[in-house]
Amino acid sequence: MGVVFERVSKAFADGTVALDSLDLAFDTGEFVLILGPSGSGKTTACRILAGLETPSSGAVRVDGRDITRLPPRERGMSMVFQNYALYAHKTVFENIAYPLRVRGAPKGGIDRAVRDIARMLQIEAQLDRRPAQLSGGQAQRVAVARALVWQPAICLMDEPLSNLDALLRLQTRTELKRLHAELGKTFVFVTHDQEEAMTLGTRIAVLNEGRLVQFDTPRRIYRRPASRFVAEFIGRPAMNTIDGAVAGGVFRAGPLELPVGRPDGPLALGIRPEQIVVCPAPTPDSIAFRLEVMELVEPETLLFLRKGPVALIARVLRDLGDLRPGTDIHLELPPQARHFFDPRTGARLE
Amino acid sequence: MSARRILGGVLDRGVVPLLLTPSLVLLLLILVGPFFYMVGASFTDLSFSIPGRDGNFVGFDNYRRLVRDDPVFWSSFLLTLRFVVWAVAVEFVLGFALALLLYHHVRRRRFLLTGLLVPMMLAPVAVGLIWKLLLQGDFGMLTYYLRAVGVIDLRTALLSSPDLVLATIVAIDVWQWTPFVTLVMLAGLLSLPREPFEAAVMDGARPYQVFRDVTLPLLRPIVALVLLLRGIDAFKEFDKVFILTGGGPGSATELLSIYAYRVNFKNWDLGYGAVCAFMVYLVVLILCSVFYKAAFWGQAQRKRAGGRAA
Amino acid sequence: MKRGWRALAIAVVAAVLVAALTPYLWVFLTSFKTRIDALSGTPVWLFAPTFEHYPQVFLDKGYLPLVWNSVFIAVSTTLLSLGVGTPAAYVLARHDFAGREDLFFFFLTTRMAPPISVVVPMFLLFTALGITDTPLAVILAHSTFNLSLVVWVMRGFFADIPREIDEAAMMDGNTRAGTFLRVLVPLAAPGLAATAILCFILSWNEFLYAFVLAAFESRTLTVGIPGLITPHGTLWGQVAAVAVVATLPIILFTFLVQRHLVRGLTFGAVKG
Repeated sequence: MGVVFERVSKAFADGTVALDSLDLAFDTGEFVLILGPSGSGKTTACRILAGLETPSSGAVRVDGRDITRLPPRERGMSMVFQNYALYAHKTVFENIAYPLRVRGAPKGGIDRAVRDIARMLQIEAQLDRRPAQLSGGQAQRVAVARALVWQPAICLMDEPLSNLDALLRLQTRTELKRLHAELGKTFVFVTHDQEEAMTLGTRIAVLNEGRLVQFDTPRRIYRRPASRFVAEFIGRPAMNTIDGAVAGGVFRAGPLELPVGRPDGPLALGIRPEQIVVCPAPTPDSIAFRLEVMELVEPETLLFLRKGPVALIARVLRDLGDLRPGTDIHLELPPQARHFFDPRTGARLE
Repeated sequence: MSARRILGGVLDRGVVPLLLTPSLVLLLLILVGPFFYMVGASFTDLSFSIPGRDGNFVGFDNYRRLVRDDPVFWSSFLLTLRFVVWAVAVEFVLGFALALLLYHHVRRRRFLLTGLLVPMMLAPVAVGLIWKLLLQGDFGMLTYYLRAVGVIDLRTALLSSPDLVLATIVAIDVWQWTPFVTLVMLAGLLSLPREPFEAAVMDGARPYQVFRDVTLPLLRPIVALVLLLRGIDAFKEFDKVFILTGGGPGSATELLSIYAYRVNFKNWDLGYGAVCAFMVYLVVLILCSVFYKAAFWGQAQRKRAGGRAA
Repeated sequence: MKRGWRALAIAVVAAVLVAALTPYLWVFLTSFKTRIDALSGTPVWLFAPTFEHYPQVFLDKGYLPLVWNSVFIAVSTTLLSLGVGTPAAYVLARHDFAGREDLFFFFLTTRMAPPISVVVPMFLLFTALGITDTPLAVILAHSTFNLSLVVWVMRGFFADIPREIDEAAMMDGNTRAGTFLRVLVPLAAPGLAATAILCFILSWNEFLYAFVLAAFESRTLTVGIPGLITPHGTLWGQVAAVAVVATLPIILFTFLVQRHLVRGLTFGAVKG
């Protein structure tokens, strides 16, 4: 059963449509990632689930129960905010204890629960301090502790790592994964960072312009993106896409010619940078591209290549000390690495 | 060094004293000067009504008189305190409640607020005049309706009844200044960040808990400010009471300012009057320091909490 | 549930508006009532208006100069306070020096000074200087509270302007004083306007200083009001007329300054 968004739409008073008939369902216990660029509706979807916004139409169900109009406190969910939203006038202990106090838990139980979660998040030493005295990472962990201390069935996180520096972000990511495994609750995590999504989630819901584009495991999203948008959003660097047309079984885009077994007509070809094969010498299947720029990001090298109007990025793991910008490189685009998209709708073609 | 260079230097590095001095000079002239004059006069026997008393030095005589021989001063002091406590308390409760109501349940506020503000924008003398007319014994509009409804009997007029007059003055002050409290509290509510409220709601707090645990603590500095401003202004009250009752009937509404006025400008007992005036100043100054520390200490705390905690 | 609250809110707001505006409305009406209507034992709401009171009090009784006095004094004290206080506000906003916080507190206390405490020595002082019953006396007196208002509120406005603007102006070749005059003051113009209006209102409405320091020749409109209330029979129509003229301009001004009102009234502590 789990959580179900049923044709949820949300339009704001000024006319902006945040969500357009969103259909999404996932099971309890999952670590669901809601991923999308800004304006995709991901935060709105999270807030509607939390009860901080009501949908203009549609329904939200949890384990079969319609919660669309329920106030947040009756939904059994907690939330970690992007800016942590800690209570500045309370100590860290009091911040974490607040959800329990408000629900009337017994004093001894509160004390134990707060210390347990603080230990799990390694902030026991901060319990007597105030939010103003905490570092970013500590404050963020207090926010998470507060969201988990009363053991809600579902924990929502709205871009909680966005305000942390890169190193802290990576560390906290791992910790959240560990927490999820330990606690076995449902986590719903909103982010615009595709790398975060790919490493954290059991499944990723990709949103764009208020609609669900694909809901799949990270592996399938990477290997079989449902649309050009997903293909170009995931991966660093993103998938190369080339617009062209097929005539007589040959895909043409500018000077690029590639035999493909596809019907005639306009077509968009996609290939991931790391699946482009760089050949030391020309082969029957290779195509010549001019190397424009080389970026060394140890242990990989990024090659920025061009053939007429067609630009490609290739990601290579080998040592290519002999290559020089301005020379021609021979590339193979293996058939099993090719993705095809409808140039008009962006949808994936088999 | 050319004259131009020197001038440029003054306009640059000498900016602080250059721009600050005129204000300090002006304040010296109109406040500090008179203040010391007042303190000085308090040690003399200056009087414009008793002959021979033209400012001879009398040491602490006036102060002794205040402390020992002037029960009228002290009863006036207590009366003023009662006035302040009642007026500010009622204004605060009503004003805050109204601000909350407007904040939560009323959308098009702009227009309403302007109408609400009228009482406090009127000259206090005019306010006194308005209510003097309304509460007139023979032809006051409000007197007529109060008698019609039975709140007061046919022979009572609020402003001439020793039992009711203080309450009446308090009510008029409430009428005039509650909009001020409403305005400031509303501005305070609008300035609060959204996130702690959402966090509290997600933590499971009910509306009254959110109010108690988030709204009130966040509003504390503004509440302190409103109480300070109204408290001090109420203590200084003069204009409307002067017109409404002149301190009467008897001395039922003789607030401190009115008493000090009487001593100085009716009895022309200026040496002693300076002591009275000084005492009023002192009380206000003490109140001011106490609240300043409390209110701005809270603000400084919030500044440090700035960044990540909401 | 929400519907119920909203209905209550509208009812309360309506009641409050009626309570806030009716008293003033009554005086306004009274200024157009004949003597009989005004002194009627039963309140008269519908009546045949008369316009006689206004010319009677302003022309026959010579109250027109009072209007001029009020205007002159209010404008003068506003200009003085702005002219002296704005530079001070700039210094307090931008430059750090020993005793800055204490200076703030000092400016704050000037606003808190009880008029009765200040007017007594001021009266003695001004009598000695021979300037009682001149506009100058009242202008100076009103500047006691207006100056601190200007300093506190304008400091807030200046502090809101990012320092980078100062720095850009100085890189462009201005002195600090030049930066203040040519760049910051124009940027803070809305604040200046609102503060100016507030100073005007406070001075116009003021009573005690004007009453003690200028009781005859340089009387302001507010001072004129008690003069018409005598124990042996007040001409309520005329008093009402004076009250209306004394208050109507201010109400109109309030519309103009409403947005900045909170900032001015709380001395910049609340941005509103």
